[in-house]
Amino acid sequence: MSHIHLPDGVLPVWLWVLGFVVAIVVGAILLRLTKKEELTKRLPLLGMMAAAMVLGAAIEIIPIAYHVNLTVISGILLGPSLIFLATFVVNVILALFGHGGMTVIGLNTLTLSIEGILGCILFRLFWKVLKRLTPATFLATFIALLFSTFAMIGVVSLGTSHYKELIHQEGKGVFEFHLSKEKDDFHAGERAKSEINLKRFMAIVLPLGFIGWVLEGVITTLIARYIHRLRPDLLHLEKETL
Amino acid sequence: MIQLSYLDYIALEKKSFLHRLSPTLKIIGMVFVLLGIVMLRNLPGFLFLYGILLALFFLSRIPVKIFPLTLYPLIFAFLFIFISGFQIHFIIMVFLKVLCGSTGVVLLLATTPYPSIFSVLGRVLPSTFVTALFLTYRSIFILLNIFEETQQALYLRGGFQWRHPWRSLSNISNAFGHLIIKGIDASEKMYESMVLRGFKNKIYYRGD
Repeated sequence: MSHIHLPDGVLPVWLWVLGFVVAIVVGAILLRLTKKEELTKRLPLLGMMAAAMVLGAAIEIIPIAYHVNLTVISGILLGPSLIFLATFVVNVILALFGHGGMTVIGLNTLTLSIEGILGCILFRLFWKVLKRLTPATFLATFIALLFSTFAMIGVVSLGTSHYKELIHQEGKGVFEFHLSKEKDDFHAGERAKSEINLKRFMAIVLPLGFIGWVLEGVITTLIARYIHRLRPDLLHLEKETL
Repeated sequence: MIQLSYLDYIALEKKSFLHRLSPTLKIIGMVFVLLGIVMLRNLPGFLFLYGILLALFFLSRIPVKIFPLTLYPLIFAFLFIFISGFQIHFIIMVFLKVLCGSTGVVLLLATTPYPSIFSVLGRVLPSTFVTALFLTYRSIFILLNIFEETQQALYLRGGFQWRHPWRSLSNISNAFGHLIIKGIDASEKMYESMVLRGFKNKIYYRGD
């Protein structure tokens, strides 16, 4: 639920342009910090994890429009710098598939990479403290998704003035458009009703998000356990206790 | 997403005027569609743009079974209904913006093979990024093959059943775990074969 595949044209131009600028700057810094040989060597792995994320996005849990992101497990396997590039690539491919807007690739990358980077850092932290794979993975995933969902809500709330403009522009523009309603009849009550209601949006997103955080947490934990059973080297865990 | 391979097949096999058009021109066209989505401020403008895109969709002889793909992003647009306080004008406008964007993108993909798009992008974007895009695209097909095999195994272990949620979650997670491990093995082999063929952080396309 962390990234809602914001469509094109809904957010104000300054916001999505800023999203692109920040994503490019952050990406450039993270890539600069990565050794070139390591990047070249890990590019196929990055491609494979990005492909797994794209494939995860295909499996939709219909009633709540949720799909697994696999960002945290990819973050754990790839590390913070490469997961950023991977989420950028995933968002470009998903946008090319009509799964989220082209203009919001930057913003979607930022919200989704919060999940990957934070998930990776928290996993290492919880592993050091708890020394147990199951709670470390679940907590890291749950908290990372919680943060990225609030980041997404923050992004949506930044566009409030733009939504108001879109709502109140009825009849403006090159072509006239009226829905059998005169502007003069626009009562104060109706005006209040037409105001942007972010609380309602949050009331819908957060409960659905909670189900998603738990589901993703459980799935990521089970995947991590599966990988730990077969290829523990991939998780880069220092001291093995479980 | 399984339709990705079918989209790729259509982009390569069909022979309409849009398929023959240069990928650069089609990408420029897509940029204009995006500009329209961002700049337009009235419903007739959006209806006109959507009408053009629909006409191009059917003139390009893209199979109708691909059409539902253009409707899929509407699922996410529904959330904006709750923001607006159910304002009909806002809802129709958001839906049309979404439909124009998704129809444009599906039209581009169904008439242009992915490598041709990446080749054009390679002229303006960093080579590392375009290589990562290409490798992801290649990996999707590798994973889809593994996924087909895994689906059979998943089905034999009970698949996904709402009556047994824990077992279903465990099955799905094991399937993803299996997919990831197999995928990583495949990526290691792919890297070795790429190095043998002289890979140095950049993939060259025909005509480069």
